[in-house]
Formats: sequence, C-alpha cells, structure tokens
Amino acid sequence: MISYFGVRHHGPGSTASLVAALDQLRPSVVLVEGPSDATGLLPLLADRAMRPPVALLGYAADDPRRAAFWPFAEFSPEYQAVRWALRNDVPVELIDLPVLAQLDDAAPAEAETEDGTAGPGEPDRPGSQPDDRRDPISALAAAAGYEDPESWWNDLIEQNPAPGPIFAAVGNAMAEYRNHTTTDEHDLRREAHMRRAIAQAAKNADGPVAVVCGALHVPALAAKHTAAADRALLTGLPRRSASITWAPWTNARLAYASGYGAGVSAPGWNQHLWQTRGRADVATRWLARIAAELRQAEHLVSTASLIEAERLAVALAALRDRPQPGFEELREAAVSCLFGGDPVLWNLVADRLLVGTQVGTIPEGVPLAPLIDDLQRQQRLTRLRPEALPRELALDLRTDSGAARSVLLHRLRILGVGWGQLTDAGRSRGTFRERWVLAWDPTFAIDLVDKLVYGSTVEQAAAGLLAEQLGEATTLGALATGCEQAMTAGLPTAVSVALRLLADKAALSSDAADMLGAIPPLVDVLRYGQARRTDAQALGSLVEHLVVEASLSLHYAARPADADASDVLVGLVVGVDRAIRLLDEAVSAGLATVWDTGLAAVVGDDQTSPKVAGCAAQLRYASGALAAADVVLLVQRRLSPGTRAVVAAAFLEGFFTQAAERLIYDADLRDAVSQWLTDLDEDEFVAALPLLRRVFADLGASDRTRLLAAALGAGARRAVGVRLAGDGGAGWERQLAVVARLLTAPTGGADRG
Amino acid sequence: MSPEILRQPAEVAYAAELAALRRDDDEPRPVGWALSPKRVLTYLLGGKASDGTTVVPKYVGNRRLLETAVATLATDRALLLLGVPGTAKSWVSEHLAAAITDDSTMMVQCTAGTDENQIRYGWNYAQLLAHGPSQDALVPTPLFRAMQQGRLCRLEELTRMGSDVQDTLITVLSEKTLPIPELDTAVYAARGFNVIATANNRDKGVNELSSALKRRFNVVVLPVPDSFEEEVSIVSRRVAETAVGLDLPVPKNVDDEIRRVLVVFRELRSGATADGRATLKTPSGSLSTAEAIATMIGGLSHAAWFADGRLSADGLAQTMVGAIVKDPVQDKEVLSEYLETVVKKRKDYAAYYAALNDAL
Repeated sequence: MISYFGVRHHGPGSTASLVAALDQLRPSVVLVEGPSDATGLLPLLADRAMRPPVALLGYAADDPRRAAFWPFAEFSPEYQAVRWALRNDVPVELIDLPVLAQLDDAAPAEAETEDGTAGPGEPDRPGSQPDDRRDPISALAAAAGYEDPESWWNDLIEQNPAPGPIFAAVGNAMAEYRNHTTTDEHDLRREAHMRRAIAQAAKNADGPVAVVCGALHVPALAAKHTAAADRALLTGLPRRSASITWAPWTNARLAYASGYGAGVSAPGWNQHLWQTRGRADVATRWLARIAAELRQAEHLVSTASLIEAERLAVALAALRDRPQPGFEELREAAVSCLFGGDPVLWNLVADRLLVGTQVGTIPEGVPLAPLIDDLQRQQRLTRLRPEALPRELALDLRTDSGAARSVLLHRLRILGVGWGQLTDAGRSRGTFRERWVLAWDPTFAIDLVDKLVYGSTVEQAAAGLLAEQLGEATTLGALATGCEQAMTAGLPTAVSVALRLLADKAALSSDAADMLGAIPPLVDVLRYGQARRTDAQALGSLVEHLVVEASLSLHYAARPADADASDVLVGLVVGVDRAIRLLDEAVSAGLATVWDTGLAAVVGDDQTSPKVAGCAAQLRYASGALAAADVVLLVQRRLSPGTRAVVAAAFLEGFFTQAAERLIYDADLRDAVSQWLTDLDEDEFVAALPLLRRVFADLGASDRTRLLAAALGAGARRAVGVRLAGDGGAGWERQLAVVARLLTAPTGGADRG
Repeated sequence: MSPEILRQPAEVAYAAELAALRRDDDEPRPVGWALSPKRVLTYLLGGKASDGTTVVPKYVGNRRLLETAVATLATDRALLLLGVPGTAKSWVSEHLAAAITDDSTMMVQCTAGTDENQIRYGWNYAQLLAHGPSQDALVPTPLFRAMQQGRLCRLEELTRMGSDVQDTLITVLSEKTLPIPELDTAVYAARGFNVIATANNRDKGVNELSSALKRRFNVVVLPVPDSFEEEVSIVSRRVAETAVGLDLPVPKNVDDEIRRVLVVFRELRSGATADGRATLKTPSGSLSTAEAIATMIGGLSHAAWFADGRLSADGLAQTMVGAIVKDPVQDKEVLSEYLETVVKKRKDYAAYYAALNDAL
C-alpha cells in the first residue's frame, strides 16, 4: 500500500500534519523527494549536533561551479519525515533524479520553473530566478477568493487547527490543477524517476510505503504509467556521479527575496509557527518577540500595548474571515499599537523577525567538502559564528584572538569568499585595529568547493591560490603586494614563494620604477611581519638589494621626457623614502645612506627631470643630509635667471610636493624663492603661474594665510588698506589681457590645469 | 434636513447606500454598531449592496489601513488617524462615524483655544448661580453625550489643542468614565462609545501627544496617494461630488485638466519630474490632494460663472498659484523656475505656461 503525502515545502502546517499522519500510518519505508544519490547522507540528520537550516550541496566533481543546494529547515516536511524515519528505525530514501541529471536538465532552461509547492525537493541553484509562470497555489487561492495565496494556504493547511484528510484533498486539488496546465519535460522525467523508485520500494517493502513530495507531483506519482514509458523518459541520464555533502544554510536564503523560487515569504514566521505548533499562544509569543526586538533597538514597548496589539490582531483576523491572526494581521496590529502607526519602525525589526539570522551547523566528522569542514573548524576555533545579516566586527590585532580572526578573514578574502569586508580603506597593517562587516551567504560554500584544487584546508588553499597568482604576476610591485597579502593572511609558504619570485625578478630587473614600487609593501612586511626568521633575513636582504639597485639607477630613471612619468616617479620616490625612514635604525642606517646617494645623484644631475630633482632635494633636506645653507644655494642655483621659468617652476613643484609648509617656517628658503619670483619678468611669471599655483594648492586656507603673513612680514597689515577700484577702469583691461595670455600661453606638458 | 443645507453630513448624503447595506446585514456586529464591520468596510471602500445599490468608494487607497481602523473601533480602543494635511483624515473619520453609528455629528473641533469645558462639560452659569451645581446646570459636550448614548465621538485636529487639555482624555479612554467631581458623580460610557481622533503629523504649532495619551490610541497613518492614477481617481471623484453639491456644471475636459494640474502638484511636491530626469525645488506648502481638489473646484466655479462653462488654464492658474505660492518670495522663485525649466518645454502645457506666468 502506498500513501502519498503532498506537502508544501517549508510549510510548518504541512509538517505537523505529516508527522501526525506518519505516526498513524507507521510505514515500513519512507520515500522523500530529493536527489536519489544523496540518500546515504540522510542518517546524518539524526546527529544531535546537526542543526538546521542545512542543505545538501551537490556538485559535479570535475566542475564545482555546477552546483545546487537542497535546503532543509527545521520546519520543512522533508526534514521532519527523514527525522521520523530515523527515529523509528524505518528505512528512508530519496527518490528524485540524481544530482547531475537535475543539473543537466536545468542547464538549458536557465530559470527554474518553481511553483508554490516546490521546496527542499527543489534545488536552489545560485543565480536561478524564481519563476511564477506556473503557480498552482495562486490559481487555487484565486479560485477560493483569496488575494494572497500565502494566506489561503496558511488558513487551509498551515493554521487549520482541525485538518481533515488534507493530504487527499490537496492531491485532488492538484490533480484538477494539472488537468488544466502542462508539465515540462524536466518535471516529467523527475516524476518518472520517482515512480520507478516508488515501484521498486513497494516491491521490496513488507508494509505501507509513505511518499513525501511536493503537492504538485502527487497526481503524477499516483497515476498508472507503464514501466517502459518511464524507462524511455529516463534514457540518457548521465552516468557520472556527483559529489554531495552537507553545507550550512541560512534562513535568509530560504526567503523568496533571496531568489530561491521554492522559498517562503517569511521563514522566521514559519519557524515560529513550527516552534509554537499546538500551542494556543502563537500570536502572543510572536508579539512578545516583536517587543523584544524593539526593546533591543531601544524602543520602549509596554506590556499593556502588547495586549492591545493582540486584541487588534484578533479583531483584524475576524474582519478578514481568517481563523487566527496571521503575520500580516500581527504586523498591522504591531504597527498601529506598538509603533505609533509608523511603518518605518517595523522595517527596523522586520528582517530579524521575518527572516532571522540563523545559520545551520554541521556536526564534526561529517564528510563535508574538506574546505567547508576546515572553515567550520576555524570558525569554532576563532569563535566567529556565521550570521546571515551583516554585523560589524572590530578586531584588535594585538590580542591572539583578534589576530587569529583577522588571519582567517584575510585568507577567505584571498579565496574570494567575501564573508568579511574590510570597512576602513587603506592599509590594513598600518594600525592594530581592523574593522570588518561580516555577513554569511551559503553560496560561499560553492566558492569554497571551487577552490578545492588549491588545497584541502583554508590555509593551504589560500596559500596555493596566492602562489598561483604570484606566479602569474609580471611586475615587482604586484609580487610585493602579494607578499604583503600573504603576510597579513599568515601564509608563510606563500610569503616564501613571493620572496623567491621577488628575488629572481629583482636580480633581472633594471626598471627603477618597478623596484621602487615594490619597496614600500616589502618594508611593511618587514616592519610588521611575523615571517619566519629565515624569511625575515631573506626579506631584509631583498629589500637591501632592491634599495641599492633602485638608488643606483634612480638618476637614469629620473630623466623621463614627459610630465606624467615624472609625477609617477615623484610619488614612488616619496613612498620609498617614507618606507626607509620607518625602518628600524639598525636595518635602515646603511640603506638610508645608499638611498641618499641615489637622491644626491638625481639632484646633482642636470639632465634629470626638474620635478624629480626638486623632490629629491627636498627629501635630502628633510633627512638632514643637506644643510640649510646648501639648500638655499641649491634652490638659488636651480632658480637662477638663466633657467627657463617653466623648468624652474617644475623644480619648485617637485621640491614642495607635500612640503609647502616648509616655506612658512624656513625664512632662508622663503627668501630664495621670493628673490626668484620678484626677479621674473612678467612673461616668465605668467608662463610659470600654473605650476606655481599647483605648488600651493596643497596648502590649506589657514596655511596660505600664514604663508602670506610670513612673506609680507609686518607689511601683511598693509593689505587692509587696499581698496578695490570702483569701476576697475583701465586696470581691468590690463588684467583681462593677462588672463587671456594665461589661458593661451604655451606652458609645456606640465600645465594640466 | 432641508435641501437648503450647504453640506449634508455623510449619513444624510449617503443615506440610501447606508440603508441598502443595512437591509440584510446578518453578520454579527459589536454593540451599538449600525452596520457589521465588514459592511462598514464595503461602505468605505465601495462595492455593491445585496439589492444592487452601488456603493461608491469613499476612500481610495490601502485596504489594509482601513481594515485596521475598523478593527480598532470594533475593540474598545480609540482610533487616531495621523497624516500630512489633505490625506483624507477627517473625511475617513466622518464616514467611519456615519457608517458605524449613523451619526457623524458628535464632533469637537480642537483648536488652540479649546479648553476643558469644551471637552468634558461646561456650566450654564445662570442655572449654576440660581440653583447651585446640579445636573440641570451642566452643559454636555459632544464627548459627554457620546459617552451617555454609546456613540462615536470625533475629535478633529487633536494636536492643535493644548497638551493639558489633551490629557483630560486619558481617563475617558482608559477608564471609560468621565468624573464630575462637582456633583460627586460620573458619566459611565455606554457600550458602543468610542473616539476617533485625527491629527496632523507635519504642521507648525502642533502640541505633541503625551506618551500616556498616545498609548491609549491605535494609530493609523494615512499616506499621501502613492500612484498618479490613484490620486487622479480621488480628485475626479471628489470634484464631481462637490460640483453636484454646488450645482456647478462639469465640463467635458475636466479629467484632462485634473491630470495636468495633478502632474504639476505631484512634481512640485516630490521635487522631481514625473520621469525622474530632473530634480526640482519644492515649495514650502504641502500641495496636498485636498488642495488639488480645491483648485479644481475653484476652476469649475470660475468656468461656470465667468467663462461660459469653459474650463481652461486661465481659470485654474490663479488658484494654482495660490496653492503653490505660500511664501511670497521663495515659492515664487520655485514656481517660475519650474515653469521655465519644465513646463515651457511641454507642448500640451503651453496654456498653463502662459496663464501661470500671467498669474505670477
């Protein structure tokens, strides 16, 4: 004897009726809709440590990107049916097409044709969109005069306190529905497969057989089909087998809004219904949860208001002819009584209530995809619980736990698993604090499975993937950045690989710019690194090598023709200089000397770009290698009357890159510049003006005022007496001519203003 | 009541609909209700009575909000309708009272000058001086009478009156009694008594409700109409009704003009053109649906008396400017900017462009 239980996937009401029906029927075998090759994994659901929501993750072993999930929530009928069978020592089997057959079938038709009754039996494929072309529940609800199909099903099945022989009734309704619609090829094949599995099980069973499947399939499964016809439908099934494992799932992914076609509109509410099944105080407890959430959000809610809200909800349900308040009634009552009519407040708590933040857990020892398994272990070790809704996390890297968490998150980032997003832009190692936003998405499981080729633990895989990327890197800068990444993620093997590649490349490289770019990240690694001793030594000598090489070739590199290249070079030189200055005295003393020699060569060489030369001179001055008097001399020489004003101005710009304040404090320097400026004739001044303007653009308004005061000395006060000419008059004509010349003046490539 | 009355209360104006709905209403109804809650909803949202009488919709918008309002009154909780000006708060409150108790006239218009005597009870001072305090010397207020008779009392613009006066309602709403210490007695509300209050949640000179009082109300916020079509249908209906009441002929092109006027109102209200391409400055007024209705009625009146029944941009412009320009300097700028940047380019608004510019 075969009994068919047409359920609504993830419907807690179906689940409760189903468990009661199974208790009564006491079947000798339970058959459940779901990929047949995953049957072996079902007993794990009985494990105490297995906490739903979890999902079967099936993927093609040779192409993990082709994957699908079959989620099970605590309130899913399938989950409870399996649990019932395991509890009662009854064999349980999954009877749908195997994973690969389902993947192959669905591949051409991108969109999954989901219906209201589809669910854990129906795979959730990343990227698949729900499709409402065929929704039997809507059709039936409309026939019953309901606007909202959810409410219809809820009233009739989920919240019907005294359900009759509902499974028979649902089966009849679906049969009627299917008489008026067509079923696609994929579903026909699935049903054929299920029929064959059912027939097989019925032959072997010595008692009643229970079939738990989506309501829509019931008529097709119960109908008579010849074995030959079914066989014909099932020819050409792929013979390969898929890799299947359990993966933690989230409530958020069960919601329609997530794009899971078989989802429900409010998994949090469904969960609540399941947890309070058989109780009279479903509404009361739900309102109490709303109040708790509101109080957590620091809104005061009185118990008296809760009472009023419940009364209103009951009145609303009566007005709408519903047997009990559903979540719409409770929501509207809450908005009216608890939130002062303000729906915005409701949105504040809606996500947490209706969706929920739960993420399932898989017990230790379950043959997970190795990376997922390792990640779970790491999560336990670092006490980072995956949660579905975004949460901020501040880490103190000085503590062990903070460092461990940071390392894990950085490794996952390398693997392309965006569980944590760094919120503060900029250097992660420049400070001992890191701010992350964590949000777990079950599809990360696929990202992890996809990276299995690189290693079977998070650490190995991250190191492997990074090493591969390093191997493909073409510039020293990219290698150095990779090295820094490896260091932040605590991947010593990748650091070693990066260092080896860097050393190889640096030996061959003669491109100073490339070498300069690699130095700052490497110095960062050296400063903060906990690289192994040998690595530290290797790194130290590598940095030394790079600095020496770069210093030697610097003044050749500093002879570029165009302004853009010198801008880049100035940036690099400043960066390297800062990096060297930040190094420990012991390490940097020698390096600083070498570096200074390189800078001196740039300054001393008349063929170098004036801008880079200016920058180098300034850096030498700042480090004390150049005495104040020498600087003044140098500036005077560079700004001497014979030099073209444009070249002189470029030198000045380089000199004052990020150092324009110097002019405020250094009187000698200011005098030198001032002297040069006042000696310029008008044409030269106009030509140099855009460059000069750029020099001072870095200064803030108050600094400019101070510079002006310093330049004019006590005479600054004279400006007060200056009055604007009333009509502008002849002066205006003159100014206009200057402006016109400014706009048309050829100022060389340096003028981009 | 005689036909000379300018505006009939809702229960008189819609007496036929109410009677038709009442005829075979066998649904259970709360004590004191003339209609069952479901019929009340039909009355408000429109539909057909069982004898075929058409019930015109009184409120166009979210059904769930009205369900919440009716369900609130079906419990013994007071109802507070909140909203920006012109979102049909008073209109809904009047029709709720008309449908539920067949009497929408027990109403207190709350103002800054309303004192406790107008809420609780006053005294007939001649009686008081002649005979001392007695029931006869008492002057009952609408609230007082509603409590005695088990009816609905409407409090319009609740937040306009002072907070101390507002708080006299607390006892009435929680204990359902109104103590009269002078006579050492109290009015105990008869079953069926309830209060519908309306209040503006965006207005100057509003006295915020105390939280003690607010907690005694279920609050329903009536929103500004969401969609253009919804607003058009509201304005068309109200304009047609009012025109009939005022014996104004309704020209054929009224629907087109309503659409044009509403486009202007909605664009200025939302600060963006309907296609979302350009942002606009918003004037200081609220440009509510109610003002759009008033503008159209003004236009109809102008058409009937001065323009041989032709409704045109010229007739509407003056009232439109009045609705839009509340601040003579700022809003004028807003409007002329809107005219120059948006209206000028639209061919079918040429008449409005000219007329509004003239009016400015």
